[in-house]
Amino acid sequence: MKRRGLLQALGAGTALAACSREPDMRAPVDYRVGGRVPWINWAGNQSCWPSERIAPQAETELVERLRAAKGVVRAVGAGHSFTAVVPTDDTLIATDLLAGLASVDSNTLQAEVWAGTRLHAMGDLLEPAGQALPNMPDMNYLALGGAMANAAHATGAGFGSMPSYVAGITLATPSGELISCDVRRNPELFQAARVSLGVLGIVTRMRLQNQAPFRLTETDRIEKTEDVLADLANRKARHRHFEFLPLPYSSYSITVSTDVAVAGDADLGEDDPQAAMSLRKVFEALSWIPGGRALYDRVLTTVFGSQATTVRTGRSYEVFPHVRIVRFREMEYSIPADAAVACVREVLQAIRTRNLPVCMPLEVRFIRADGAWMSMFEGRDSCSISVHQYADLDHRAYFGEIEPIFWKYEGRPHWGKLHTLDAPRLAKLYERHWRDFQEIRASVDPQGRMLNPYLKSVLGA
Amino acid sequence: MQRPWHASAALLAAVFVASAAQESARPPIALNARQEALLLANCTQCHARPGIGAPLIGDAAAWKERRYQGEDRLLEHVVLGVRGMPPLGYCSACTEDDFRALIRYMAGVEDKN
Repeated sequence: MKRRGLLQALGAGTALAACSREPDMRAPVDYRVGGRVPWINWAGNQSCWPSERIAPQAETELVERLRAAKGVVRAVGAGHSFTAVVPTDDTLIATDLLAGLASVDSNTLQAEVWAGTRLHAMGDLLEPAGQALPNMPDMNYLALGGAMANAAHATGAGFGSMPSYVAGITLATPSGELISCDVRRNPELFQAARVSLGVLGIVTRMRLQNQAPFRLTETDRIEKTEDVLADLANRKARHRHFEFLPLPYSSYSITVSTDVAVAGDADLGEDDPQAAMSLRKVFEALSWIPGGRALYDRVLTTVFGSQATTVRTGRSYEVFPHVRIVRFREMEYSIPADAAVACVREVLQAIRTRNLPVCMPLEVRFIRADGAWMSMFEGRDSCSISVHQYADLDHRAYFGEIEPIFWKYEGRPHWGKLHTLDAPRLAKLYERHWRDFQEIRASVDPQGRMLNPYLKSVLGA
Repeated sequence: MQRPWHASAALLAAVFVASAAQESARPPIALNARQEALLLANCTQCHARPGIGAPLIGDAAAWKERRYQGEDRLLEHVVLGVRGMPPLGYCSACTEDDFRALIRYMAGVEDKN
């Protein structure tokens, strides 16, 4: 395995990416051709059998179908959430056909976008209008509505989560009303609807605060984790976007630094989409041997022995995202930004001392505080730390060992990623606005039509 | 107001041609406007992106072996997911008829009408 190939494989979140030869996974449900089609999420750990599956082609149709829907109603975009925010055996409303630009304001650099629009379409939609998203997650499969409902985010200490850039929302309520809200009109509903877990109804469109199109250059390096931690404040301040991916059982991390492109930046090529599995093969080949995990560290040290760099440059919406087709399970908590170094060290130490079987890297990102009531980043600059396990392996022992570490640091779990907290514990983490959100939710959906059992458990409704 | 099913036939044709193998691509079966939108929102993420392992739209050679398995088998793979392909191919809106049409379109099944 060549160093550059492995670096490309691991770099920039591509450690979480890419291989067409991943082991087959058992489907969570049976399906026979000609029978009902189940709904299954991306990771394959959530499923349901909706009795009615609707894909409205216009806002008016969505409003009417939502009002008339039977039983528990849930909306779905790309189905990328790991938690059970989507499943319902009653009415599932897919937003795929409610997509595209609704309007553009060139003076304010704002654009109103239909909520079913996938992130991968945003660049081509906005660029002709002279606009671009200021920041984007490291994969672009998500639907805009789902990304907002769960407070999807990217990295960059100067940038908030995706809901931070929402300037206005149009919400279809379960009773069939269509309500517009922003910081002036229905401001409380706006702060609740920016991150809502989809329990207030269905967001049909949102007005995004964008910026002029721009180009980025991303540089990925292999560096000693302790060197990165020692220099973390500088990295966060120096780069428009910075994240790093510590490799368990190794003293190395992949660092990803992204800045506005300058003349002369040269693209050195695409990520290698095969090598997350290469890392797994190395780990599995060595880890069963007595002392094999120390050997794994030495192998990586040899492979990464000298500086290795990969560079991607191009339009912002081409550089932000990476291919992600190796399926996995993920847990992510956001902790106060100033606790990042201590928490990363503790998680890595726990993996090593407890001999946890994991080779997928951690992912450490930085997010500016925002004001959305149920955002993981509400009121505090944050560091998000993610742990992953291949989807065909049991993640529970690993995540179970790591989750209490996040609790020590007052971590808030990502709404779309795996965690074990229930409403009483979550309420303490969202003390400022938990009750405000509950009151808004009860006012727009007094019968709880948007609540499935999972959402009842996390919201206590 | 711009909706996805307004994606032009020209764009769809471009996707087909750009992702097809060098060998001659036959005219695929026609998709309706809804299915065109579903294709662009979902399938093209992987099936119009070279180098990630998914058979490209209209690449007859890449689809030949898969078509040999039979359409029902392909449909099972689409719904349940297989290897790198996620369940439903990201398309929660798709019905079984949509999936069949999309498979035929991407595999380059000739339009006999």
